[in-house]
Amino acid sequence: MADYIDVTALNRLARQVLAQCEPLNNLIVCGEISNFTRHYKSGHLYFTLKDANASVKAVMFRDKARLLNFEPQNGMMVLVYGNATLYERDGAFQVYADYMRPFGAGAAQMAFDALKKKLEAEGLFAPEHKRSLPVMPRCIGIVTSKTGAALKDVCQVMGRRWPLAKLMLAPVSVQGLEAESSILDGIRALDARKEVDLILVTRGGGSKEDLWVFNSERIARAAYACHKPVVSAVGHEIDYTILDYVADLRAPTPSAAAELCVPDQNRIRSEIYSFKQNIQNSIQSAWQMCYNRLSTARPEQAMRIQRNALGAKKQKTDDCSEQITRTAQNALALKQSALGASAGLASSLNPYAVLSRGYAMIMDEAAVGIPVRELHPGQNITLKGDGARAHCTVNAVDSDGEDRNEKSSKIL
Amino acid sequence: MKRAPKSFEEGLERLQGILARMQATDTPLAESVKLYAEAADLIQYCNQTLDTARLQIEEIDTRLAKASGVEGMDDGQ
Repeated sequence: MADYIDVTALNRLARQVLAQCEPLNNLIVCGEISNFTRHYKSGHLYFTLKDANASVKAVMFRDKARLLNFEPQNGMMVLVYGNATLYERDGAFQVYADYMRPFGAGAAQMAFDALKKKLEAEGLFAPEHKRSLPVMPRCIGIVTSKTGAALKDVCQVMGRRWPLAKLMLAPVSVQGLEAESSILDGIRALDARKEVDLILVTRGGGSKEDLWVFNSERIARAAYACHKPVVSAVGHEIDYTILDYVADLRAPTPSAAAELCVPDQNRIRSEIYSFKQNIQNSIQSAWQMCYNRLSTARPEQAMRIQRNALGAKKQKTDDCSEQITRTAQNALALKQSALGASAGLASSLNPYAVLSRGYAMIMDEAAVGIPVRELHPGQNITLKGDGARAHCTVNAVDSDGEDRNEKSSKIL
Repeated sequence: MKRAPKSFEEGLERLQGILARMQATDTPLAESVKLYAEAADLIQYCNQTLDTARLQIEEIDTRLAKASGVEGMDDGQ
């Protein structure tokens, strides 16, 4: 009887041989998914990988499957990372997948669309869930690579626009296999920090592959679960990731995100300036109002009283002045008429006027007028008449008891 | 100043309040004058804060969050 081995031994042998084939232990297989099933109880994924000519069974266990950041689907091209060996119980040669990712643009798009549809249906993109950003965040959590251009851009823009802010950096790797968990840790760590006002998840531009991690379902859910607003800025303007849809705000680039997250200090400065102007105007108008109240009340009245008082005084002054003038004029007229009378009297008393009527004045040697009774005989006298004088000598002087004619003849 | 604001935002907020008080017609002049003086201080504070501010950057260790038991989310399917 020929030697035989049982099936178990056969399969064990085959497995041992395969295990010694180094390339099978660590390989990447490219193929299209078909017959995809997720075991409802265990959560393991079972599917067939195929290409034009061949197919192979594949399995992905639950704890690996839950790290997937996309929904595998039939017809999707994937790269499967893992090893291939024999499943002894069934004698089936199969691939054990540790990780897989969509391969090629079409597959990526399929995965993207499927996840987007799923999350949208769950309400992760709902506009009513979007939170608004704080106007003046004091502390901004940033999930990005410590060495990337994105961080530099963000620092530069924030430093210029709003240097009052503080950046709290959760340094993560944004590409490679560990990127996803690293980003998740970053988001959660920042969300747990009390002082962080919002979380910015960003990276600079790159290939679709580079940005793929931001289409992770786990990252999307973490962002959705955040207590703080999340801003996403991944790649360039044209790049949309699942995170962009979940985030409270999507910015086209890291620099743009920085602009959206903080106010512009120039705008705030001009706001302060206009506060200053308005406050200045307010105080001025307060003063003005007060002044107006004062000037409509007191000074007007005072002015009126003053004016009235002045008017009365002026009237009095005018009266006085008129009275004085009148009195002066009266006094003058009185004096003038007195002067006229005096002048008349004076002229009537003019002794020379009498001479024209034929009288003569007697004057002694000193040419002083002298009464007749004071003459004495022998005295030389002058008789002054109208227009002539006669030099005489007194013969005798008689008192008036004598004949007037004699006397007069004596004189003559 | 009555008391220095704790932050730039508080300074700005107080300025806003002061302006509103000053623009109210029932605010007496004496109060307006006091508010005006306070506003002048606040404006100086705000401008100075902006002038001297420099962006701060602090780096955190994300592994701490992990260690402190913040667990990953399961999609549960």
